[in-house]
Amino acid sequence: MAAILGYPIYNLVRLSFQRYGLFELLQHHGVSVGLHNYGSVLHDTVFWHTLVRTIVFTVANVGLTMVLGTLAALLLLRVSAWVRLLLTAGLVLVWSMPPVVAVQVWNWMTNSQNGVLNYLLTQLHLGDYFQHNWYETPFSQLAMTTTLIVWGALPFVVITVYAALSQVPRELVEAAEIDGAASWRVFKDVTMPVIAPVLLILTSLSILWDFSVFTQPFLLIGQGHIVPSNYLMGIYLFEEGYVKTDFGRGAAISILMLAIVAAMSVVYVRRMLRVGEVE
Amino acid sequence: MSTRRAHGLAWDVVGVVLFAVMVFPVFWMISTAFKPTDEINQVTPAWLPGHPTVQHFRDAINQPNFWTDVKNSLIVVLVTVAIAMALAFLAAVALSKYRFTGRKLFVVLVIGIQMLPGAGLIIPLYVVLARYHQVNTLTGVILVYLTTALPFSVWTLRGFIIGIPKDLEEAAMVDGSTRLGAFLRILLPLVAPGLVATSVFAFITSWNEYIFARILLSDGSKQTITVWLSYFLGTSRSTDWGALMAASTLIAIPVVIFFLLVQRKIAFGLTSGAVRG
Repeated sequence: MAAILGYPIYNLVRLSFQRYGLFELLQHHGVSVGLHNYGSVLHDTVFWHTLVRTIVFTVANVGLTMVLGTLAALLLLRVSAWVRLLLTAGLVLVWSMPPVVAVQVWNWMTNSQNGVLNYLLTQLHLGDYFQHNWYETPFSQLAMTTTLIVWGALPFVVITVYAALSQVPRELVEAAEIDGAASWRVFKDVTMPVIAPVLLILTSLSILWDFSVFTQPFLLIGQGHIVPSNYLMGIYLFEEGYVKTDFGRGAAISILMLAIVAAMSVVYVRRMLRVGEVE
Repeated sequence: MSTRRAHGLAWDVVGVVLFAVMVFPVFWMISTAFKPTDEINQVTPAWLPGHPTVQHFRDAINQPNFWTDVKNSLIVVLVTVAIAMALAFLAAVALSKYRFTGRKLFVVLVIGIQMLPGAGLIIPLYVVLARYHQVNTLTGVILVYLTTALPFSVWTLRGFIIGIPKDLEEAAMVDGSTRLGAFLRILLPLVAPGLVATSVFAFITSWNEYIFARILLSDGSKQTITVWLSYFLGTSRSTDWGALMAASTLIAIPVVIFFLLVQRKIAFGLTSGAVRG
């Protein structure tokens, strides 16, 4: 089993130091080029622009997911039993939607001819969206991707945070309320310490997923509309490594991505290692 | 008290609105799938199908390669799950019951590979599979899915096995049962629910997987059903939304059913271990 897990990683590292294009793929043999691949990636302005774009994108997606998710979980505590059941059932339903299916539903809901989103927003007098093209600029393309990702990620976050919230001792909250603490204070000083570890894990996991996301942006923006100005890291890797069949360079990009992701989720890794240790 | 009740009602309203917003895309998919084409294309959308029809479902399953690709998906998914469960179960037992050299390294590997962005592994896996002529074969895809399904399954199963008291097994052995007997009669039945939950989850992730299948399988007749669905939009100039939504509904159904079956169990596995999304 260690072989199944270790072999791809070993190959990844080795490839990143080789020239490995279509010719080498047929020969099954790469040519060592030292650090050339890394140098060429680090000198590529597209890489840096994509990196910045992806970080902004990740922060926006993770931030929205976590804030909305926590708010929704707090809401679950306050609603009556039947609403809680209804909402939980709805969340599980959304959670189970395959990403590719969700993309197609998004395509249908936001198509400029008769998308229901255009209709609803116009009806609600939020502006005139008749035949509005939601995918006009890189910003709007990525914003639509964000709605799709946050929608898909919310159920997991809400349900997990809600589970953590139910660990908060009720007496403690009530005592604080009787003592006249404002609800914000109660949340910050009583609830937060209990759910903080869970929020931390969820944030790290979300960073991990959103930073290297591929399926949703790739399919929602559409392969024909993927251009360097709307690249995210996962797509940059796909285009440079696979589409241009420069596997050595692709491997170098993978390793750089890996290093960045690892740095961003150190917290998660350390916690997981501790879980692995304690038995 | 009346203000408190009013507060409660206000929260309920917010809750119902949130429910409506979250569920709407799913509702819209199903509603569209059952509408006749003229209802789909009208400018003012109708919320529910006026004259429900299953024509779109018929169109969807009669598209080229639909059944072939469903079959491909099933083969890939079932083989992956079967192999992953057998190997992962043994590994998880070893990991939670015995101390062995390299155990720590093994844990690091299991966690580490889940950390790797899925996209990050496409390059080395593609190159390795090309070396062994497994590009554009289902075997190649199965091997790739194993690299993701295995670590996840080991990790989740380990959580289930640790929950079982060692005394039980020892008691059976004291009572004259062999190690294998204790394993089969005590451990296996107790882990069974965990095995079911884990395998269903492995089923779902493999069924939903897109990027590897997309890269490895280029023939229309060799693709999995998610890749088939992703190409649907591009097949004609004016999209047949009804058939697309009908196909989407059909592809989502197995996942939804399985998901509802194990959702409770897996929420535990997700927070104690980790899954790649």
